[in-house]
Amino acid sequence: MKTMTSLARAAAAAVLAAAGATAAFAQEPVKIGYAIARTGPWAAGAQVTQEPNYILWAEQVNAAGGLNVKGTKRKVELVALDDRSETETVVRSYEKLMGTDKVDLILPPWGTGANFAILPLVQKYGYPLLAPTATGRKLLELKNPYFFALLQQPDTMMNALAEYLTARSVKTVAFIYVDELFGLEQAGALERSLNARGIKIVEKKSYPLGVKDLQPVLNDIKAKNPDAFVALSYPPDTFLITGQSKAIGFNPKVFYTAVGTAFPVFRDKFGPTAEGVMGLGTWNPKSGPAAKAYFDAHVKRWNKEPDRWASAHAWAGLQILEQAVAKVGLDRKALRDYIAANEFDTIIGKIRFKNGENVSTPGVVSQWSGGEFEVVWPPDRATGPALFPKQPWK
Amino acid sequence: MSFWFELAASGLITGGIYAVVALGLNLQYGLMRIMNISHGEFLMLGAYATWLAYTVLGVNPLVFLPAVAALLFLAGLAVYAVCFRPLAAGAPSVEVFEARSLLVGFGLMFLVQNAAYLAWGADLRGYSFLAEPVELGGARFTENRLVVFAFAVAASLALLAVLRFTLVGKAVRAMMQSPTGAQLVGVDTATLHPVVFGAGLALAGVAGALLSMVYEVSPSMGEPYTVTALIVITLGGLGSAIGCLAGGLLLGLVEAFGMHFTNPSLKMLLSYGVFIGVLLARPRGLFAR
Repeated sequence: MKTMTSLARAAAAAVLAAAGATAAFAQEPVKIGYAIARTGPWAAGAQVTQEPNYILWAEQVNAAGGLNVKGTKRKVELVALDDRSETETVVRSYEKLMGTDKVDLILPPWGTGANFAILPLVQKYGYPLLAPTATGRKLLELKNPYFFALLQQPDTMMNALAEYLTARSVKTVAFIYVDELFGLEQAGALERSLNARGIKIVEKKSYPLGVKDLQPVLNDIKAKNPDAFVALSYPPDTFLITGQSKAIGFNPKVFYTAVGTAFPVFRDKFGPTAEGVMGLGTWNPKSGPAAKAYFDAHVKRWNKEPDRWASAHAWAGLQILEQAVAKVGLDRKALRDYIAANEFDTIIGKIRFKNGENVSTPGVVSQWSGGEFEVVWPPDRATGPALFPKQPWK
Repeated sequence: MSFWFELAASGLITGGIYAVVALGLNLQYGLMRIMNISHGEFLMLGAYATWLAYTVLGVNPLVFLPAVAALLFLAGLAVYAVCFRPLAAGAPSVEVFEARSLLVGFGLMFLVQNAAYLAWGADLRGYSFLAEPVELGGARFTENRLVVFAFAVAASLALLAVLRFTLVGKAVRAMMQSPTGAQLVGVDTATLHPVVFGAGLALAGVAGALLSMVYEVSPSMGEPYTVTALIVITLGGLGSAIGCLAGGLLLGLVEAFGMHFTNPSLKMLLSYGVFIGVLLARPRGLFAR
């Protein structure tokens, strides 16, 4: 009796295994490769804005039965590597993913520099790259047919800021910028936008990445008493500039800091001090039901909030990829052509690309107000009223 | 007048931060020739411990300082026993020991940094503590920066006093000058060595705890601080407590005045310019004897 049962069990197991094998054969997983910073200085940005979204997306797609590849559902398998915040490791990793492993699709690394570094490879192997954290006309000028920039370009963002300043009759602006490709491009764009609108620039200064004290610079600017202050800054400096401006009682009517302002940690660290600080943003949970659903899923999975700028662009990139694969499958040339030629529905609204640039998402100005990074400009995207003039530091 | 005062005070306060960062490494490298390149990583551990204690348990970071010091001191004893004791026993000369300790330091750096990534992830962390401004002779500074400055001055003077006037301090200095000679006159180097190393790590931890009030915390925050610390102790003179303070303050002042009169982007050029200038005039540092 006992042998019978175990025999029956073995037979059942064999049948099941065979069935499983056929099923697995029919739905071989779609391999999606990427390298991203899990360690090193880029990791803080990459792990807030990008990789949590990749993982959340893959889990959601698999929970729903898999990725729709032209009508066939196939599981997604992420092939993820740590690039250690080193450009050469980024390049080597993508060379391996596309050249040796021959993954089906790739997702982009974090940051303008890393994306810039792999552009030639992407073109050589013909993989569409939908980049949420690469910005700069210099990248678009390369006219790489496989590169799609999801984020607003510097001139788009700075034009929006200048429009907002004009609407509030701001007459004078002082700005500082970080001495990196990002800061230089933004600063050039801001200067052109302000000049075009006749807003006077009373001071502009650059500073190096990793600076530990900017009080002397801020004091000099405070003495010039500008209506608006803009810092085209990176995360650690964004915090430093905000803290030190409060310390010296520098209270311009508009106080704007760039990357990092949209991070939830900015609000968590500064509390009421964050009130009224403006920065680069695109969205928040109030932007629409899809944005709210994304926000809730992100908080549930990671126990932390997504940032209010590029996180949603990263998610939008995944949505575009998903829609394109559903339509044309995994033929990467066809994918590229389909992405280049069509308009897509995403959590940040419709997106269409022109020569690799997202020409649908407008420049946006956001502002911390009552614990949320409210979109305050342009008016048709606004989720809340602008606080102007910014109240004194709390 | 108040303008000059403000500029100088701003420089001195930032200089105090540099000095605090360098204190621990000064003990380890300056006095013991342990090239602990993972100095910044232990500073990072101190910062994380303080951040956790404040945000999870609500412990006042200043009250928590002794706990950080004790934790890192014990960690220092353990690290010494596992890594540096066998190294010291096997090295034929101080130079070889120094070179080998550099490699061990690199290993520790990767180990500690990656452990922090596993434990806390790569996110930036931060909290506000003593972030309110205070008036000081017409200029305004945040309280936390003033606390760091006060600690830098007090700790440097205390260290100076200990090294110069106490028997333990004399034993430590003797140990550096001649390990064999020190043993011959009865200095218990087998105890003193790990204790001084542990004290170095404790100071790194305390520096991290203080910096977590001023700057953001992340697993990769340590490396730049190691570089700052190396510059400061070389500038001041290896092993000199007062040199460490003076080196830090000098760098801070140069940066503050440089930022005002030239461009902040020239900060590195100015700092290294002073560094090279001092080393040309006094190759062994400002306060080397």
